[in-house]
Amino acid sequence: MRFVDEYRDPVAARTLLDRIRVLAGDDRFKFMEVCGGHTHAIYRHGIEHILPEGVELVHGPGCPVCVIPMGRVDDAIAVAEQPGVTFTAFGDMMRVPGSHGTLLESKARGADVRVVYSPLDALRIAIDEPDRRVVFFAVGFETTAPSTALTLLRARELDVGNFDVFCNHVTIVPPVKAILDSPDLRLDGFIGPGHVSTVIGQRPYRFVPERYGKPLVTAGFEPLDVLAAITMLLEQIRSGRCEVENQYTRAVREEGNPRALAVMAETFELRPHFEWRGLGFISQSALQLRPEFAAWDAERRYAIPGVRVADPKACQCGEVLKGVIKPWECKVFGTACTPQTPIGTCMVSSEGACAAYYNFGRLHREAAVALRR
Amino acid sequence: MTFAASNGTDVVAGDLADAVAAASLTLARAFAAGATLWCVAPEWPAHAEHVAVEFVHPVIVGTRAFPAIPVGAADPVAGVRVLARPGDVVIVIGTTRATGIRPLLRRAGAWGLTSIWLGTGPRPEAAWADHLIWLQGPDAHGPGPGVPGEAVDFVLAYHLLWELTQVVFEHPGLLTAPVDEPAGEVCITCSDEGRLAEVEAVTDDAHADVLAGGRRESIDVRLVDPVEPGDLVLVHAGVAIAVVDGAEP
Repeated sequence: MRFVDEYRDPVAARTLLDRIRVLAGDDRFKFMEVCGGHTHAIYRHGIEHILPEGVELVHGPGCPVCVIPMGRVDDAIAVAEQPGVTFTAFGDMMRVPGSHGTLLESKARGADVRVVYSPLDALRIAIDEPDRRVVFFAVGFETTAPSTALTLLRARELDVGNFDVFCNHVTIVPPVKAILDSPDLRLDGFIGPGHVSTVIGQRPYRFVPERYGKPLVTAGFEPLDVLAAITMLLEQIRSGRCEVENQYTRAVREEGNPRALAVMAETFELRPHFEWRGLGFISQSALQLRPEFAAWDAERRYAIPGVRVADPKACQCGEVLKGVIKPWECKVFGTACTPQTPIGTCMVSSEGACAAYYNFGRLHREAAVALRR
Repeated sequence: MTFAASNGTDVVAGDLADAVAAASLTLARAFAAGATLWCVAPEWPAHAEHVAVEFVHPVIVGTRAFPAIPVGAADPVAGVRVLARPGDVVIVIGTTRATGIRPLLRRAGAWGLTSIWLGTGPRPEAAWADHLIWLQGPDAHGPGPGVPGEAVDFVLAYHLLWELTQVVFEHPGLLTAPVDEPAGEVCITCSDEGRLAEVEAVTDDAHADVLAGGRRESIDVRLVDPVEPGDLVLVHAGVAIAVVDGAEP
């Protein structure tokens, strides 16, 4: 019980664990945490090691870095290496490998690539350096899409002509649906994303219980939040209920953030289809700029190669993202693929299942296996 | 872990002992890094003064004295906000019924503070502080040794905290946290690593200065209802996407 001591309130954690043990009994349950933030919390605090053996957590597709396919990274590098372009991206994207290296390597070759914390910072660079053409590499789910939307509105308001967005925003509901439709996975319920839900609210998840008969509980990111969500899922199953519940009431409202949804609707529209790493093409799963914002759309301004690149044969990010295999079951995990030299995207972002497992889970699991012998 | 009295009986054992030990280690590391301890006890201000007095004097000649200061009980949120610097520690002594404790603890992270809640009575429903030291028994807040059979009261608990912090200082190897956290641990895409921030000032219709993790930054607040200084917001990529409930439950 080493890990319980590290929880903010070990007594509360133990009470929840006892409840989980009673509810789970001798049956087996498989829950997916959709969000990369949860994956990070689960590995960091060793949650999967303190759960009873019958309760298994499967890591979902909710890391925005991990789901970007190689071809899109190649496209980004192609834009970054155009003359006169200042290319801006979140820090994690710098190390994501495309088929010809990373943005960081592109920077080393002389491209002007800069890390920003917010798209608004990228717009600021465009205003301060009017002779550069600034492009922002927009990635992320509904948590970062509103900030890109605000930036576009601001760019229009200030009539900034040297700023473009290379839009790769994705939405959370289609991949969840794709996973539910996937034949090789049996899940008993979902831990819903916390911060995405502050924006989209609880309603978009209703199809999960209604059409697929699986419960979903939106959870916060403290270890106790995750344990409470698992308890709520088991309680639903044991009492014969199946619904969308909210554990993260301190931040998530039923209706989400209507203003954030409004600015997204004003600036973005659904793409007909978008490629997800490992999940393939999912229709209407990503956002692109509306025609009214064509003047700030990097995809219209620059020739984007748009070549579809197959993932390296050895890389099993797809199966990891779908939860079919665990990170350590990948052929290259920890050998050819490490956080220092990632092959697949799951090893890049700290929210990626492989990187989180490499950093936090590896030794714990090896110790647990050794002790069980 | 247990703490035994001089006659050999266990005084503090189990979860409580573990909680005190963990909090002492955190405190010692914070003091070693230059922190000040801010002491708050809205229901019994004397406890805040008492715990501060203990920390500012050495256990025995030659040991360290630690900077510790009681904060007035009238408005502890305002007091700690003005006085504390990022990296400091705040210890709150009181029950879940006390007003002012929860708003203070909810903000501690945004101010860059580590928090310890030494309490009694019904346990709080969520993890409100970095360290929760919870005492059982109706008289835990009393000034004396407590009712017979209830050995642990606030006074004993914070004396143990103070003395154990001194003990950690006798083992300098413990004073720096082990480097098992990978560098760059926080994912700066902020994709779902949203941060809690407290609004300091609203600068115009669209922006506010906030404190997040003890650092000051300007964020966009157009997507949330009008905020005012003291409100807590969830920030993703420089934009507030939700107002977080920071009040009493």
